[in-house]
Amino acid sequence: MTTRLLMYLGVIILGAIIGAKGRLSEKLTKRLGSIQTACLLLLLTIMGIKIGMDEGVISSFLSIGYKAVIISIFTIGMSILSVMLLKPYVKGRNR
Amino acid sequence: MTLKILLSVVFGVLLGLFILPMEVLNYSDLLIDIGLMLLLFFVGIEIGMNRSVFYKIKAMGFRILLIPFGVIFGSILGSIIAGIILKMPMNEAGAVGAGLGWYTLSSILMSTYSNELSALGFLANVVREILAFIIIPLVAKKLGFFEAIAPAGATAMDTGLPVISRATDSETAIIAFITGVICTFSVPVLVPLILNF
Repeated sequence: MTTRLLMYLGVIILGAIIGAKGRLSEKLTKRLGSIQTACLLLLLTIMGIKIGMDEGVISSFLSIGYKAVIISIFTIGMSILSVMLLKPYVKGRNR
Repeated sequence: MTLKILLSVVFGVLLGLFILPMEVLNYSDLLIDIGLMLLLFFVGIEIGMNRSVFYKIKAMGFRILLIPFGVIFGSILGSIIAGIILKMPMNEAGAVGAGLGWYTLSSILMSTYSNELSALGFLANVVREILAFIIIPLVAKKLGFFEAIAPAGATAMDTGLPVISRATDSETAIIAFITGVICTFSVPVLVPLILNF
């Protein structure tokens, strides 16, 4: 997992350097968008295949949905609370 | 795009459930790794192309970074608390929260770890995005403009931005964008890192 994390970071930083240099032509940047979408949709399909082949996930779909709602409510609630508590420290921007 | 995303997942699930042989699983993780690298490379390019964000942060003062920090910290803490209630392992619950609403990437990042967690990560972050759209205007009105950025998480730089911008003011919209960029950069780092704990 650590090697994986370093690889992820390395690839993002490499992309960021290339993106920041701004040497990509407009034609290429436009095409990058569709390559990115194709790549994403393919990955999601593979992820779906893995999920579909996993009987455990399929049989517990309702309980996964229930967990998802609880987790999302707590993530939103706590992130709002954290920003609320930190707001006074964001210099001169008290609202 | 949202429809395409949902259709891809459903299509994959149906393929896996009814059509493809089990042997496909031998190659799925390798394919995910290759595709993910490619995707992250493009994410990097996008971040690099938005370098004006760094000047904006400098102009507004570095304390503005407390907002994305609060969003990230609160999201992870919130999902860990939910995980305790749901009796989930802390690292798994935390990783779902670290998806910061970016349901596509976070679920793919979790798919090599566990299919169930990947499905949970996808659903929880989809629900987060939908809930965010609904409550952002309400939070902006009742609690404050900065707080209205929090529900959006990583989507504050794209799909969530118009909602935040309409519910708040232009200054908050810029801070929301900065928050979104920082969250976007954090997701591929935090999800595997927290899973590793």
